[in-house]
Amino acid sequence: MKRVLAILTTTILVAAIVLTGCTPVAPSTGGSTGTAPTKAATPAKAEVKDDPNVKVLNLWSFTEEVPKMLDKFKELNKDFNFEIKTTIIATTDGAYQPALDQALAAGGADAPDIYCAESAFVLKYTQGDAADYAAPYEALGIDVANKLKEADIAQYTIDIGTRPSDKKLVGLGYQATGGALIYRRSIAKDVWGTDDPDTIASKVGPGWDKFFEAAKDLKAKGYGIVSGDGDLWHAVEGASEKGWIVDGKLYIDPSREAFLDQAKMLKDNGWHNDTQDWTDAWFADMKDAGPQKIFGFFGPAWLINYVLVDNVGGTKPGEGTFGDWAICKPPVGFFWGGTWIIANKDTKIPATVGKIIEWITLDSSETGLQYFWANGTLSGPGGTKDTVASGTVMKKSDGSVALLGGQNMFDVFIPAGAFATGKNKTQYDETINLYWRNQVREYTAGTKSREQAIKDFKQQVADNLDVIVE
Amino acid sequence: MRRKSVNYAKYGYLFSLPFVLAFLVFSLYPIIYTTVIGFTDLKGLGKTTFKFLSNPFQNYQAVLKTVSFQKALVNTAIIWIINFIPQLLLALLLTAWFTNNRHKLRGQGIFKVMFYMPNIITAATVALLFYAMFGYPKGPVNDLLMSLGIIDSPYYFLIHKWPTRGIISFIQFWTWYGQTMIVFISGVLGINPELFEAADIDGASGPQTFLYVTLPCLKTIMLFTLVTSMIGGLQMFDIPRLLNLGGPDQSTLTASMFIYDQAFSGSYMYNRASAASMILFAIIAVLSAILFYIMRDKDAIRLAKEKKARMKAWKAQRRAAR
Repeated sequence: MKRVLAILTTTILVAAIVLTGCTPVAPSTGGSTGTAPTKAATPAKAEVKDDPNVKVLNLWSFTEEVPKMLDKFKELNKDFNFEIKTTIIATTDGAYQPALDQALAAGGADAPDIYCAESAFVLKYTQGDAADYAAPYEALGIDVANKLKEADIAQYTIDIGTRPSDKKLVGLGYQATGGALIYRRSIAKDVWGTDDPDTIASKVGPGWDKFFEAAKDLKAKGYGIVSGDGDLWHAVEGASEKGWIVDGKLYIDPSREAFLDQAKMLKDNGWHNDTQDWTDAWFADMKDAGPQKIFGFFGPAWLINYVLVDNVGGTKPGEGTFGDWAICKPPVGFFWGGTWIIANKDTKIPATVGKIIEWITLDSSETGLQYFWANGTLSGPGGTKDTVASGTVMKKSDGSVALLGGQNMFDVFIPAGAFATGKNKTQYDETINLYWRNQVREYTAGTKSREQAIKDFKQQVADNLDVIVE
Repeated sequence: MRRKSVNYAKYGYLFSLPFVLAFLVFSLYPIIYTTVIGFTDLKGLGKTTFKFLSNPFQNYQAVLKTVSFQKALVNTAIIWIINFIPQLLLALLLTAWFTNNRHKLRGQGIFKVMFYMPNIITAATVALLFYAMFGYPKGPVNDLLMSLGIIDSPYYFLIHKWPTRGIISFIQFWTWYGQTMIVFISGVLGINPELFEAADIDGASGPQTFLYVTLPCLKTIMLFTLVTSMIGGLQMFDIPRLLNLGGPDQSTLTASMFIYDQAFSGSYMYNRASAASMILFAIIAVLSAILFYIMRDKDAIRLAKEKKARMKAWKAQRRAAR
């Protein structure tokens, strides 16, 4: 008997050791407070009121950006008397989404009232599996239709923030992330005799054929056009007509499939330094520390003001590549990154949440968040300037950036926002992009054939996602 | 005559209560839940309702047919084997040196701490460190190899399968040999010193003592190390995930990463993830059983058998005498 007991205990213990790694699989919060759509959404016309007993506002974010905005909001609104409970979880290692999902599903007093979603996974929260948790902006007392027009919000951010099931707007951003080609003035002068943005735009585009012609011109003078194939990918991905999934089936858009050949061409001709984005070698190319000088990068304003600025090897003109940059219209329109603000439909304080969200996303006045954000004055003068969602705000803001030799970045980024499309995204993009780019690298590195790369890509998608692959 | 003694047992139960409760809530319940949802259709974010499948083993069949899962099992085995064998040998060698009575090494404490050190660094740090070191086209290792003239152009380590597996195995080896060594040393210190004295007096050389006295006495500790290391190895997750996300081309995808991806990489297929966990559990259980069988104490079993035979013979004698 003792023996049987011993064996039983051992088995359970071993099972415990083996299986505890999988505990998150079982969401221990069995309650389904958040899942069942119990109450119908508040009609838009009815007055939106807070529950007077609730004095805490829960905010979930993956960076400090939005929490800092709320500090400013508090400063501007002296009568704001909520305690803000902030939960910040970085998106690295995919930690943010599972935690947020659990918090939304669990509900209760600690459930987020406002939560942020990044472009890589925002669709899950506005259109996909988790869209039902989101409150329509109307239900928060926001006059959506008029405000959108007044602020001149880029269409792609609205497309992404609109829930297809009821065509209601549930999320908007504060930042516009339409992309430009960020290029080196000195190299442009050396190759084409000018650094004028309009002329350069006509050399590298429109369309990829002209872009690769330009790559040849640059190579003749010993320059690479981009740092790595990842730079091209963000533009290719953003410009494709359809997303990865069409009617529940995996779909490889012809322009995305063509990326295989484009990446191979870049590599075989030595048109890039074969780096991968966010690696040391990629950063090195921003200050000419790579094997050949690199002409440009594709990216939105944040790439210039948050990434490039720290990696150009200087802080004033003449140092490193500082001031030797300019931006122009890219060969194809795209956007990259961005944060969308979403409210929980079960929030007890919809009026306050609505006020905050309106201030962040739709207020185009000079005391709105976006005006501070565009001019870099959120925490005092002289801060980092950035593009914002509202075209109205950008038109009355000063977008000149010293890193770009004083060029007004809004001249390029306002049309860039309109040039981008938000209709080719799916909620699985983060995972599928990773599989695709890895296979592209396998192909360009010569470790497998084109057919094999596509076949393995399909197999990985079929194995790991609930998507039909033919 | 039996005296009634004070019963301390209840304190034992009292003290073990926190563990038992924590175990029931955080381990036993999830295990049972995992087992159950492996047979259901539970998938998708935020769902808590499920129904059992008409074919209860549908998830199991799906997982077993999945190419990624088969690859993951093979990778896990490869990475574990090429890390564990050198780890075991080096740990044994160091143990032999550290416990040798004749050499009386100086500064043992410092060496032990240094060897154990890699184990203290978090996996994330180690993985990022190695990722940066083997960077391409620029990275310390490539720079070094090129300045030494060993290679002409930078080598892309992390896009080739075997180098990446090698790096991961090396990290596992490097972070765990110290731990294995400490366990072995404590095992050796637990051996009756009279045995070593006897060996000394009989004129056994150092290697002889190690091979014929230390090793056989270490058997139970070896079994412990083998089983725990195997469980740990088959559940390998952090280093391969953080180093290269299971790449290149799934060549360092491990079984645990596969399970994680099933559940969290987008489609929330909790049911298939559970089925895969149960399969992994079964594999670990079977392999552990095999290890226990191979490493069983044959002498003790023989002695037990002999004793039984003697008892039988003695009883038979008594019966005959009566």
